[in-house]
Amino acid sequence: MANPAEKPDPIPSTPKLEPKDEREELEDINGEEEEEEEYEDEDDGKPRTREDAIADRIKAESLFRRMRETPVAVRVHDVIVKGNEKTKDHVIEAEVDVLRQATTLQELLKASNVANFNLKALDIFDAVKITLDSGPPELPGTTNVVIDVVESKSPFIGQVGTFTKAEAKSSSLEGSLKYKNIFGYGDIWDGSLAYGCDHSTEVGLGMSLPRFRGRPTPFTSRVYLSTQDWLKFSSYKERALGLSLGLIASKYHELAYNIAWRNLIDPSQTASRSIRRQLGHNLVSALKYTFKFDQRNSSLRPTRGYSFISTSQIGGLAPDSRTLRFLRQEIDLRYAVPLGFYRAALNFGVAGGITFPWGSEYKSKASCIPERFFLGGNISPVCSLGGPSALWGFKTRGLGPNEPRREVQDNESGDTYERDFVGGDVAVTAFADLSFDFPLKWFRDRGIHGHVFACAGNMAELSENKNRNFTASKFLQTFRSSVGAGIVVPTSLFRMELNYCHILKKQEHDRAKSGFFMTFSTSS
Amino acid sequence: MEGDQETEVYTLVARKPSFDLPTACPNCLPAYIYLKLAQLPFELAFNSTFPDSDELPYFESGTYVAYNNEDGGVIEKLKKDGIVNLDSQLQSLPEYLSLKALIVSWLEEALTYEIWVGTEGISTTKIYYSDLPWVISKVLFYKQTYLAKNRLGITKENAEQREKQIYKRASEAYEALSTRLGEQKFLFEDRPSSLDAFLLSHILFIIQALPVTSVLRCKLLEHSNLVRYAEKLKSEFLEASSSSPSPPLHSFPSSFPRKSSKPKSKPKVEKTEEEKKFKKRARFFLAAQFLAVVIYVSVMGGGSSEELEYEDEDD
Repeated sequence: MANPAEKPDPIPSTPKLEPKDEREELEDINGEEEEEEEYEDEDDGKPRTREDAIADRIKAESLFRRMRETPVAVRVHDVIVKGNEKTKDHVIEAEVDVLRQATTLQELLKASNVANFNLKALDIFDAVKITLDSGPPELPGTTNVVIDVVESKSPFIGQVGTFTKAEAKSSSLEGSLKYKNIFGYGDIWDGSLAYGCDHSTEVGLGMSLPRFRGRPTPFTSRVYLSTQDWLKFSSYKERALGLSLGLIASKYHELAYNIAWRNLIDPSQTASRSIRRQLGHNLVSALKYTFKFDQRNSSLRPTRGYSFISTSQIGGLAPDSRTLRFLRQEIDLRYAVPLGFYRAALNFGVAGGITFPWGSEYKSKASCIPERFFLGGNISPVCSLGGPSALWGFKTRGLGPNEPRREVQDNESGDTYERDFVGGDVAVTAFADLSFDFPLKWFRDRGIHGHVFACAGNMAELSENKNRNFTASKFLQTFRSSVGAGIVVPTSLFRMELNYCHILKKQEHDRAKSGFFMTFSTSS
Repeated sequence: MEGDQETEVYTLVARKPSFDLPTACPNCLPAYIYLKLAQLPFELAFNSTFPDSDELPYFESGTYVAYNNEDGGVIEKLKKDGIVNLDSQLQSLPEYLSLKALIVSWLEEALTYEIWVGTEGISTTKIYYSDLPWVISKVLFYKQTYLAKNRLGITKENAEQREKQIYKRASEAYEALSTRLGEQKFLFEDRPSSLDAFLLSHILFIIQALPVTSVLRCKLLEHSNLVRYAEKLKSEFLEASSSSPSPPLHSFPSSFPRKSSKPKSKPKVEKTEEEKKFKKRARFFLAAQFLAVVIYVSVMGGGSSEELEYEDEDD
């Protein structure tokens, strides 16, 4: 059977389809009904004579000519779904709605391609086949679309992978178990356990639906329990129990709502003043909108293209005024320029973010520490798209506003830091990275390449009336920067960099040192 | 707070005020009163999002912090670290230890029982959960009630027996303290001690924060000298720097009989303040009226001064 959906170009390579359609056109004129038999003949696979084959080819060529010259008008009469025992018909038909809008054969073939892709993206079928059959004989110029699906035999799937989540600011290893299509609505249930490099763990249960109440975009929901351990850097531990709902998820836009009970504790009882003041319970009810436009050719080694991402968050959307009220905005702009030799490319990136509380007396209120920006970490700025996050050479939460911790009489552990990094309300980073292949083929084959980079970034506090002390000149004077070079080794799970960084400028108390560093990143 | 680095500013971080108390939490109030008795100038800051923490109250000065869950409590830690010690010569006295045991164990147990079980947590909303959303406050309320019952060793089987024991001990403690105190200003001669801080905090909290129907409150009100002691110390040490004077405590035992069924005591506090304001305004009004009459008569009346004096006498 012809399966035009698998071919990207509008003209399918199998000629079997054409004689049928041409016969349709002929029957428009002649009014004879023979195509059903023709169809069955082809199904049976009876050996055809050489003359038949030549006749078919001639007819196919004439159809190709006609299709190239003019659009061949055709209308979809019916969509027939076969092979679905559990999955509801309307779930499949909703994904192939695009077929009904096609008015010509060319459009229909393109639409079949799209429909096939949509159905495969539901992730609940092992195989999808779309066939264009001729319509009922009394309605000329129509076609029936037959969709054959093979549902996944084993609904359970286990997956292990590495991800970089913008919130965690570091790579995480995630294992998940998925149960697909329990109720036949294309629903996918998953339980996952994620462990991040920064000692954060998350246990979650999620459910996703391809369509919810007629909305065109998938609906995802997730209940999670997460802990993040920032004791070493900021003397607090964050625990959250929450529900997040993905309301809109399309190519460019994403809208999600998150409600969580968040608890900040300090088991070590050594926190600095700002952190101490914020320990306790909070209810976060926030709406997050992300606009993403990524035209780069790769997210792990971009050599051409540009991307822009903007994330806006508003917290405190609840009738109760005692929920956490904050505004957060991040933008990230990247540009990659190919240089032509040794697959070299110049990557530029600028990212910025600002967060502020709102409500009564917002100027003197402190912004919530988990919503602030923290720079530094073992991820590469080239790969972490989503806002100011990383700088080569600076350790996790290693720069920015900091405060002295509580004095402890007996200093048993002499190597612990004495300052807490409390984060900034405004952060700006910028980087430039020149990547190039090595001359040796061995490296090129494995994707190992080198790069030379420079980056700069800074943070400042604005809340609690500290915006009065903020001046642009002081902000620019205290900018941190570093340069370096290194080797990039892409593996199947992540992108590893081995770099030598030289810190050009840092401030007192920053945790940064010139030397060799490794970073691990996954595509975000 | 901004001048931390230049001068040693002392700050006590406690739970929010309510019930006309500077801090409504019964664990934070002793520390506040202790610092006031010691006449140490300090700032008061609030943490209203951590009702189930045992770190509060904490005392900080620069990078020095004294948490309540270390070294026996904030007051003990302040004594040990030499910040302020009111008990320097009292600790050797045998009575000191026995009174301390009485106050810190029996009275504290009775207070914990009364807040979480006896009055079913009516007052806890204002003390602990005023700034938390409803969902969180409900869950934390159940958690804290459960923990309090555990701490007091109350189970379904021994609930009644334990309640009787706690109230009996409280009565005996009040009796002993009342006898010991007499009409003295402080528990020990004429100098304040940490035990005065604990006792004063206990009495003030029970009278002002617990509802009128509270059994413990009724038991306390039987000892009028304890109430007078609390009122005296409150007006001398707690209201000296505060701007809005709170109503006198003695109005409570006289206005309400032992087994009163009237529900609220808080509106009564406001009403007496309003009454005072009203009386003041009434006095001003009368004086102004009198002055107006005098001026009118002197300007308009002319010669009949005997009649004017007669009218004045009438007023």
